[in-house]
Amino acid sequence: MQDRSLSYLLLVPAFLIVLATTLYPLAYSLVTAFREWDLTKQRRPGDFVGVDNFGYAFSEPGFQNSLWVTSVFVITSVILTLVIAMSLALLLRRKGRMHTFTRVILILPFAISPALIGVSYRFMFNPEFGVIAKGLGAVFPALDGVPWLASPDLAMAILVLTDVWHWAPYMTFMCLGGLASVPRETEEAARIDGASNLRIIFGIVLPQMKGVLLVVAVLKTIFALKMFDQVVTLTGGGPGTSTETLAFFIFNVGFKWYDMGYASALAWILTAIMMLISVWYVRMLLSERKMATA
Amino acid sequence: MAEVQLVDVEKRYGSFLAVPKQSLTIEEGEFLVLLGPSGCGKTTTMRMIAGLEDITAGDLMIAGERANDKPPKDRDIAMVFQNYGLYPHMTVAENIGYPLKLRGMDRKTREARVQETAEKVELQALLKRRPSELSGGQRQRVALARAIVRTPKIFLMDEPLSNLDAKLRVTMRAELKHLHHELGVTTVYVTHDQMEAMTLASRVAIMREGRIVQLDTPKKIYSEPADLFVAGFIGSPSMNLVEGRITGGRFEAPGVSLPVAGADRGDVVLGIRPEDLQLTDPGAAPISGKLYALELTGDSTLVTLRNGRTSVCTRGPADFEAPIDAPCTLAPKPGARIHLFDKQTGQRLDA
Ligand SMILES: Nc1ncnc2c1ncn2[C@@H]1O[C@H](COP(=O)(O)OP(=O)(O)O)[C@@H](O)[C@H]1O
Ligand SMILES: [Mg+2]
Repeated sequence: MQDRSLSYLLLVPAFLIVLATTLYPLAYSLVTAFREWDLTKQRRPGDFVGVDNFGYAFSEPGFQNSLWVTSVFVITSVILTLVIAMSLALLLRRKGRMHTFTRVILILPFAISPALIGVSYRFMFNPEFGVIAKGLGAVFPALDGVPWLASPDLAMAILVLTDVWHWAPYMTFMCLGGLASVPRETEEAARIDGASNLRIIFGIVLPQMKGVLLVVAVLKTIFALKMFDQVVTLTGGGPGTSTETLAFFIFNVGFKWYDMGYASALAWILTAIMMLISVWYVRMLLSERKMATA
Repeated sequence: MAEVQLVDVEKRYGSFLAVPKQSLTIEEGEFLVLLGPSGCGKTTTMRMIAGLEDITAGDLMIAGERANDKPPKDRDIAMVFQNYGLYPHMTVAENIGYPLKLRGMDRKTREARVQETAEKVELQALLKRRPSELSGGQRQRVALARAIVRTPKIFLMDEPLSNLDAKLRVTMRAELKHLHHELGVTTVYVTHDQMEAMTLASRVAIMREGRIVQLDTPKKIYSEPADLFVAGFIGSPSMNLVEGRITGGRFEAPGVSLPVAGADRGDVVLGIRPEDLQLTDPGAAPISGKLYALELTGDSTLVTLRNGRTSVCTRGPADFEAPIDAPCTLAPKPGARIHLFDKQTGQRLDA
């Protein structure tokens, strides 16, 4: 019994640190979301204003724009990442001489910090001296001098590109893991039954990877919803507000406009979205399990 | 239905020779069993016929046509895999109907065929389930149904019964045999279980280290094993093998003296099946030694005696009792078959 109390006692410092660094700020931000707090006027949170901060969000164009931008970003980057990761996994599946080499190469983009990716892509797409911008211009003269990051659609496309570039390799590894658990015999059976290669992939392999693909999709969605680093270093949310993702917008509201109450409310909206996705995901996963083991 | 011919076929994995150059003809409508210990190349041989494995050298002929470069789907074969290879995301009915679906058969005809096939293997009640909701034996049946649903030219089965328990294995064995009789499709069947091979096969090809060492009817393989490997592999309990020499028309070894046909020579292995021996009264018994072990099997007792390096086993009556180390004598039954092999090469010595 004494051992037990001792072990609890030893856990107390760690517990306190967790409490102080995560639970306290979380609770504090939740409370703040219901108060008025303009950092330029007050040093401490002001009056409780009920759900005004949340209500404001739905009438305010900045939030609505960021919701739209985030949706476009999430949908395109999740789909592209998934398709590319799965295709790469199918290609890399066979063990060849290049096996180890390609895998090492693959892990590199994931090892680079997202903020750095933003900066380097910004340089590479600079119309004056960027290597990609110049390269594209040399191959396709029509693309010479295109102001890549100054066009709203192109800036979004490049933002998606950097994110897919960053995440696809990691997700490829996850897909490779999933592929390894698909029995070879099912594919060979389909081959003998008369299925073409494409049919085997879509009719036999992918359905068996549903669980893994679901994990990949949900993880990628959550990471995409939090997109911040490359927005700061690559586009700065622009041109205009065309790449202002929700996370970036929240940051601006809090630390540029100093409206902490509104920023907290927005942060909790983002959290709620992610929670909904997580709950949906767990449900899907559980029903998938039930189907697989019933 | 079709004849399958392997002509000087060879398979290498890199520099590893899995199946050395050999030829084999599987006749139309025949049930050919590839039998051999694990790792001897049975699966590789079958997969080359299926088209799942490239053939390094030689020709594969199916129904008289060279098939080396034909993709599996154009060979008109069906295969039952060791782990069944069922599609886990499809129901039993969808699994069985998949080969038909791929061939563009319309839904109605397909469903009728699936129903018909399911009846043949008694799966009607399970058509809506998924493979994960089935027992091993039921999965086995689904795999079988998927194979027979489109009456291919050739059936390939790779140890289809090895994942079933002993009792189910015997039942399924009879079903397979019946099915082959009913459909008459050329069948290649891989197993490492000699009992399965003997009961199912029209002919058995016994393989060792990639080579076919004997290809014959089960009867012939049992009665005239081509070499020591086959002799020891077929039969349960396996054939008694005694090393000795032939002098003056008799085979001599410690505790053994039997008249045999053959010229005088040393380095001979005599083979005699346990079921060709019987316990006999002491006296001028040709085989004598001390009782080494008694094993009751139910309807009989396995009696093993030893004398020096000679060890001989036979079946005695179920109520046979004797103390270990008691003197024990055996004699061949009338009409018993005695096999002689060259000890060095292992080859059968024909009188
Ligand atoms: N894909 C492969 N790569 C390398 N060696 C293999 C491969 N498949 C089988 N082998 C080797 O070929 C030999 C025969 O294998 P296999 O045909 O599976 O034997 P069996 O079915 O008789 O147990 C074995 O020694 C095995 O290790
Ligand atoms: Mg095998």
